Amino acid sequence: MTTRFRFDLWTFVLIAAWIVLLILLVWPLSSILRASLLDNDTGAVSLVHYIQIFTTKVYQRAIGNTFIAGIGGMTGALILGVTLAFVTTRFHIYGRAIIQTLAVIALVAPPFIGAYAWIVLFGASGVVRKGLATISVSIPPLYGVAGVILVFSFKFFPHVFLITSGALGAINRSVEEAAESLGVSPMKRLFTVTLPLILPAIAASALLTFVLSIADFGTPRIIGRDFNVLATEAFNLFGGEVGGNPGMASALSIVLIVLSMMIVFGQRWVLRKNVYYSNLMKKPERKRVIGLKAVGLHVLAYAIVLFGALPAIIVVLFSFRRTSGPVFQPGFSLQSYEKVIATVSAPIWNTLMFSSAAVVAIVISGTLIGYLISRRPNIATGTLDALLMVPYIVPGIVMGIAFITRFNDPPIALTGTGLIIILAVYVRRLPYSARSVAASLKQVGPSLEDAAVSLGYSPGKAFMKVTVPLIVPGILAGGLMSFVTAMNELSSSLVLYVGSTITMPVRIYLSVMDGEYGTASALSTILLTMTAVAVYAAFHLSGRKESALL
Amino acid sequence: MADLKIQGLAKSYKDVRVLESIDLDIASGEFFTLLGPSGCGKTTLLRTIAGFQSQDKGEIIVKGERIGTKPAHKRDIGMVFQDYAIFPHLTVAENVAFGLKARSLPKAEIEQRVIESLKMVRLDGYQNRLPAEMSGGQQQRVGLARAMAIRPTLLLMDEPLSNLDAKLRIELREDIRDIQRRLGITTIYVTHDQEEALAVSDRICVMNKGHVEQIGTPFEIYRKPVRRFAAAFVGTMNFLPARLDGGNLVVGGQSVAYPHVEGSGEIEVAIRPENVLLAGGAGEGAAITLKGEVRKVTFLGREAHYTLKTEAGEIVAQVADPAHDFVTMEGRMVDIRLPLSKVALFRPNGDVVKAGSAR
Repeated sequence: MTTRFRFDLWTFVLIAAWIVLLILLVWPLSSILRASLLDNDTGAVSLVHYIQIFTTKVYQRAIGNTFIAGIGGMTGALILGVTLAFVTTRFHIYGRAIIQTLAVIALVAPPFIGAYAWIVLFGASGVVRKGLATISVSIPPLYGVAGVILVFSFKFFPHVFLITSGALGAINRSVEEAAESLGVSPMKRLFTVTLPLILPAIAASALLTFVLSIADFGTPRIIGRDFNVLATEAFNLFGGEVGGNPGMASALSIVLIVLSMMIVFGQRWVLRKNVYYSNLMKKPERKRVIGLKAVGLHVLAYAIVLFGALPAIIVVLFSFRRTSGPVFQPGFSLQSYEKVIATVSAPIWNTLMFSSAAVVAIVISGTLIGYLISRRPNIATGTLDALLMVPYIVPGIVMGIAFITRFNDPPIALTGTGLIIILAVYVRRLPYSARSVAASLKQVGPSLEDAAVSLGYSPGKAFMKVTVPLIVPGILAGGLMSFVTAMNELSSSLVLYVGSTITMPVRIYLSVMDGEYGTASALSTILLTMTAVAVYAAFHLSGRKESALL
Repeated sequence: MADLKIQGLAKSYKDVRVLESIDLDIASGEFFTLLGPSGCGKTTLLRTIAGFQSQDKGEIIVKGERIGTKPAHKRDIGMVFQDYAIFPHLTVAENVAFGLKARSLPKAEIEQRVIESLKMVRLDGYQNRLPAEMSGGQQQRVGLARAMAIRPTLLLMDEPLSNLDAKLRIELREDIRDIQRRLGITTIYVTHDQEEALAVSDRICVMNKGHVEQIGTPFEIYRKPVRRFAAAFVGTMNFLPARLDGGNLVVGGQSVAYPHVEGSGEIEVAIRPENVLLAGGAGEGAAITLKGEVRKVTFLGREAHYTLKTEAGEIVAQVADPAHDFVTMEGRMVDIRLPLSKVALFRPNGDVVKAGSAR
């Protein structure tokens, strides 16, 4: 009977999903926990690493700095993102498509490109600083805490912008008009009605930007100088430039995960009773403004997105500049590209191969797991769903360390292979795919399948003929976005790569660290182009909804 | 054409009994409506007939064949959904052809039936539209055409009009009724709107808390309710506490001879607003007479509603085509007559008191 077959198929999927997550998620992470609790020399169980963390100055500073980076990046991104969302949804702004495109460019540009481009502009020998110095305006070079927070703010604000734009566009205008008719001034209305209504969206984007900020490794590494955070400390201790201390690196990783978890629970607490349902009767309308106010609003909106997209623009421009060794010369040439093709083309192929392999696996298993979660709710799928939350809060660098500790020796020895890089990307991105499929399945609604059944199709056929065609564009768009993140993955790959499996982000990072800015620019431009093509395709497939890009 | 018998159908979710032993006998070509408040089990009953849910006990018999364990897609039942359930990725024509393709009909016949069905719901010319470009009313017409195109043995409709606005609702319900009459297809229609049920049905089944309260023609349900629930749910009904006292009916301080029933006990008097007579309005036969103060007059054009305060309780009366001085009588005392021929009596257990059977 068909029902029995279905039962067996989905039971198989459920068991397989559990096995995969236990091997690729729970088992590696348990190795970190274990290593953090063992004394490096004696091998005995001890809390020595944790005691050290809370008594050693450099680690205390790293924890404090991680908080500063997280809160600073989150605050900056929230201010920029909410402001831009408000201006573009409530006022008539010319060139909204341009604004959205620039925001998307900022969103998908590789994260460490931002740090590097800001150095090019405002670093010790930055273009803008030097230019200003000639007219005797002196600004401090952009290193340290201010630089990190600035980069995070302009890097992560598009997340906030896209999430809160959606929420602002879904507020019933009558609610705001009601407040106005009750005698509330527009400014007060913003704080007493509008902002509380979009609080869930703001809280969600706050969580996202905080977690992204504290997990980011490239930015503090490139621009932070002596601004050490947990991610960079863990990488240093693990990478073993000074001998290595895996126990300590693991303990710092655990602290980093705990920090992320605290924020997740904090967000849940803020939102514990702030879910509003509203029937959308009247869409908010964009007010036309004229004169000085209009100029101000346009300057504000364009300044935010231009600054956000600036790193990507700079990188593209610089990739065509003439170089002599590591130094840029006046004039343009294709020198950097020639050098990339002649000497470092391997990372391009590695990146394409690894990303494609990871994405194929992500799309297939993500779709099956997503269906399981949304259409067969029970205890086993519910806990699976909860387990899928874990990769959201485990920074890439931690996942990298966990993988290399666990998969270095038999039974599963993968160190130095491309497979370990693929698997790390796979487990990090799988939850996004599974959850987006689950969400789109919930939107399709079971009555469409019922209708097909009543017209004479068996349940299996009804699913194939009705539900699958409706969710396939979403699955493909999600797959392309997974491809984008896979191509741009730096932190876990940096721990896991060896010479033959080097990827583009790692190569770019190393070039920046070595001061080879020409090579870095050219490689970044190639990566950016590949990213842009994938994003455009995803955008097209998803019916031009920006929300698909999150 | 097919008749439908339902015998002893029961279903529970965990401890909640959603349907308790339902028996129905629906004739071929009948327009049969399941009417009741939300949660009364009407939708569960409909979805069980369709095969989307399975019963715990009982039989579903169509044309003499037991279909209780048949999978839904083999039952050959057309269904129209509350949320239309139009496939958004298919054009109107593809939606209507969807069920025909499952039956592997020849292409020419599919095309012809699609055109026929769309013409029937007055959507010819819309073949290549996508659902997103159509209004709710048009989408539901597509839903109806799609269900009828397969020429099903039964047509099931689950609150098909409740997402539409008032004017469209009346227009489409007339269309549904006309099409059903013309094709003579046995139809089971679920609604919570009593006016809609009265307007379209051959027979109505009033349901409450998983069981059947009353089955009858719209006239019987409205004029001769046998259960207090049906009387209260369909239309407006005044209920006054009263007492039977050895051949007399006592309402408030008034007593009137009521020889039809024997025995004594607490009961309720029920009367429709349009049967209440005001201020010496001409009436024949015995009646309960009360005095009441006019608390509120609601003028509705062709009629007016009076809320009256009497010693027995509040009464709503309806006067057709009210004269001018009828409209300005708030605060005045009036004589009220409740003709016994129009009154129904209900026992505390909800059953109607039939003549000669008070006990």
